[in-house]
Amino acid sequence: MPGGMDLKNEVFQSSTCALCGACLDWCPYIANMEDHLVMRFDCNVGEGRCYAVCPRTYADWQAIGDRYLPDTPRNIEIGPYFNVFRVKAAAGIKGQQDGGTVSNLVKTIMEDELAQAVLLTGSEDHVTPEPFLAVDIDDIEKAAGSRFLASPGLRKIIEAQANKVQKLAVVGRPCQIQALRKMDFNRRPDKPPLDLITIGLFCMWSLGWDFNEYLQKNFPGEKILSLGIPQHGFVVKTDKGEHILPLDEVKKFNKAGCGYCLDMTSELADISVGAFEAEKGWNTVIVRSAKGQELLDKAVEKDYLICADYPEEELNRLKGASIGKKNRNLNNIQAAFDKGVKPFIDLNSEMYAQVRKLAEGMVK
Amino acid sequence: MEWMITADEPGRTYLMQGNEAIARGALEAGIRFAAAYPGSPSSEILAMLGHVAEKMDLYAEWSTNETCALEACLGASFARVRSLCIMKQNGLLVVGDALHSASLSGVKGGLVLVVADDPSAHSSTNEFDSRHQARSAGLPMLEPANMQEAKDMVKWGYELSEQLQQLVMVRTVTRINHGRSSVSLGELPKEKPDPVTIGEWDRMVAINWFKDAQIAKIDQAKSIFETSPFNEYKGPEEPDMIIVTCGTGWLYSSEAVEALGLRDRIGILKIGTTYPLPEDFIVKHLLKTKKVLVIEEVDPFLEQNIAGIIAYHPELQVELLGRYGGKAMPRNGELNPDIVRNTLARLTGTAFTGPETAVIPPEEAVALPARELTFCAGCPHRASFFLLKQTLRIQEGQGVVMGDIGCYTMGGQRAGHYLYNFLCCMGGGINAAEGMGQLTRFGFKQPVLALAGDSTFFHSCLPGLVNAKYHDSNMLFVVLDNSATAMTGFQPHPGIGQTAMGKAAEPISIKKVAEAIGCPVTVADPFDISGTTSKVYDLLKQPGLKVLILKQECATLVVRKREKPRVWVDQELCRGDDCGCGRFCSRIWGCPGNIWDYEAGKAKIDEVVCVGCGVCISLCPAGAIKMEGGGACG
Repeated sequence: MPGGMDLKNEVFQSSTCALCGACLDWCPYIANMEDHLVMRFDCNVGEGRCYAVCPRTYADWQAIGDRYLPDTPRNIEIGPYFNVFRVKAAAGIKGQQDGGTVSNLVKTIMEDELAQAVLLTGSEDHVTPEPFLAVDIDDIEKAAGSRFLASPGLRKIIEAQANKVQKLAVVGRPCQIQALRKMDFNRRPDKPPLDLITIGLFCMWSLGWDFNEYLQKNFPGEKILSLGIPQHGFVVKTDKGEHILPLDEVKKFNKAGCGYCLDMTSELADISVGAFEAEKGWNTVIVRSAKGQELLDKAVEKDYLICADYPEEELNRLKGASIGKKNRNLNNIQAAFDKGVKPFIDLNSEMYAQVRKLAEGMVK
Repeated sequence: MEWMITADEPGRTYLMQGNEAIARGALEAGIRFAAAYPGSPSSEILAMLGHVAEKMDLYAEWSTNETCALEACLGASFARVRSLCIMKQNGLLVVGDALHSASLSGVKGGLVLVVADDPSAHSSTNEFDSRHQARSAGLPMLEPANMQEAKDMVKWGYELSEQLQQLVMVRTVTRINHGRSSVSLGELPKEKPDPVTIGEWDRMVAINWFKDAQIAKIDQAKSIFETSPFNEYKGPEEPDMIIVTCGTGWLYSSEAVEALGLRDRIGILKIGTTYPLPEDFIVKHLLKTKKVLVIEEVDPFLEQNIAGIIAYHPELQVELLGRYGGKAMPRNGELNPDIVRNTLARLTGTAFTGPETAVIPPEEAVALPARELTFCAGCPHRASFFLLKQTLRIQEGQGVVMGDIGCYTMGGQRAGHYLYNFLCCMGGGINAAEGMGQLTRFGFKQPVLALAGDSTFFHSCLPGLVNAKYHDSNMLFVVLDNSATAMTGFQPHPGIGQTAMGKAAEPISIKKVAEAIGCPVTVADPFDISGTTSKVYDLLKQPGLKVLILKQECATLVVRKREKPRVWVDQELCRGDDCGCGRFCSRIWGCPGNIWDYEAGKAKIDEVVCVGCGVCISLCPAGAIKMEGGGACG
């Protein structure tokens, strides 16, 4: 496994970095500010943990899926899953977006001590994300709502290890769930396995931090209260009112690294949570492992969550959206590889051929 | 025992450092005024004079720069007060204009300018030979060959200066300034004249009308030098070769002639009055031989002035050898007794049979690892360079960094992660940055930074800051304020609040000065690596001129003032070579306090060297470095 300079050349400099944060804080060579991630100095370590954990360096994702979700029925569109539900909170949590599912799953984890800490992302100014390790139920409120700017939250894994956290729950973006699996998959044999519960989020893209400057320039002096995409358009709520930005305008700030992502629904998580497009106030929940099912059951048992069947046409729509993202970004990846970016997936594998075929079918 | 530089013991011999001898010579001459800007190897002289100033009834100051110092001495001289000005060779270039002007106006009270050269540039950016300035400005120059002469020449320099009504220069080199030898004391004056009243029609004006007077003065100096006891010939009446030498070259040559048993074949013509040369005296002696070897430090100055004499005197039929062309002698670098002896042995076909100087038998020789210059343990510059380097990497705009002169010059090497793209002279950084910062109008996109220390800020950055502000250059000016002129030994400067005489003064705030010029100023702590990195990052996004003061006191001063906290590595937490960082703390961060425990395979703190700044604590990814006790930092 190569080292830091390879990570620098293959990932940082080719802008494929997803800003998951897995490489950060273990190593003093890698520095971060806002959404910039760089090598402070040239590193001469031949084999780096940084390279081994990166979701944008080569990995056999099928093998990784087989290791962590061995009994789960495969699905080419949205990854391995047992069940898909629509879910919502029985009672709201302040600041929640959509159904409040994630907040209640985290609450359940804490109450039942399924983990000693939960990696969440909050934001004091409702724009710039700040990852933190939550240990208290009161902490959950700080993380309610959606973040649109990418943040290297997985750096906190190091802090969790330093705090001797044995069991950790993580709420993360698809790239972060991938990195967590890779972290364990490539761990040295003398190191103990990671004991994790992973709640994966749906993610189409993240924004670069220059979006923050854009907001400040366009709404000077206004205090931002929340960002969201309720239906169409990007809604910025401020102390002066509500602004709707065209989605295409916002997408200009997409992080380049997100254009190489083939995972919309956190396909390697124990349980994945996203919006339920058909009806406001609900979430889509994909259960992928026994651990994930157990967590959902407990939250329902406690009457925190209400769980309902998932409409067939919505599932098809979800799968279509996921295939759409995969297909778009496969094209980006192909273009990047053509330009000399070192291949981090095997584009010739059967899986991607199927994605292309499904995408073609959708167009027809 | 009374300190020898003020001892009233005429005739008594002491072992004296050259710089002590110079100070003593000036005291024997009855100076009442001394001014200098510090710079190795000259720095001790004014420090000593400041120390004894009150007792010896004189005024001494660390001037803000060399021009301030020389012109201050001119002011004192106008009132017929004897004054001493001291600087290193770089400083002499700073005063170039003043020097060339003063030689036209001349002086009234004796004014001696001691300039200390640094052959091989041990503690300088160049080894400029200050003798060129004496010739260029048309000023007499003396060059002592030992510590006794250093004292005597300075003292005599005042008589010469007042006789000629001209500034007199004394050139020394590192081995004279910092070497020690016997010096026999002279008398200290019982009384010193008070300053005279400047009359309505008294003038000291530098203008070219006085060029003839200046030439007359240098011609008069030449005729005085013809009989000066500082010039002498020793050797046979018909030598195979004459060595013409000055300064330390005289000692090296005498030793070489002795060691090679050449006393009967080689003569030594020692010149103490380097400029203007005593032409008749030299011609008289060179007529004795057919071969001349010139031995001198730095440039072939004496050699080429003798070449000039030879050209005007066809009766001299000699082969001239020296540093010119680098054939007989090395063209640059400091000389030593071995180089001179080996040169002489080669030129005379003599074998040297004695022991080589400092030769270690091969079986006892140990290969020393190459060591680069580095910052002291706990030095704030290390943190400043670290955070600037990482900010420039994060910023991704390939920032260009203009360096300057001070301890932080070492930041251009590994100690500062090779941060500099540019280095010139004191005050050079801000001006180069101003120029480059103007290129944004032509599409130049890289951020431009200039660095300067606090002493350098006052020394030569003020006009540059005014220039950069007035023309609104796109640049970040970073003042590395460690509250010290650390490189040269902690001489006070205008920001410190103390004078050379140990008196309190109102310190001048760099922040207020920069703000008064109209610059937006940010003050940050370089020890707060992440916080200050954010500040620099934000500053680099802003257009126009920005000033950032990175303020943290020099570790060498801090450690004298406060109780040192204990810093140690919890080796349980240290990941050792598992860190994946290739021993970042001891290798990349590079503080001499961070060392490697080879037995444990873990990091370790050298608790003797560590001053407890605590920066490495914030850098260790495993949180393995701990601190307890001690006084607060900064």
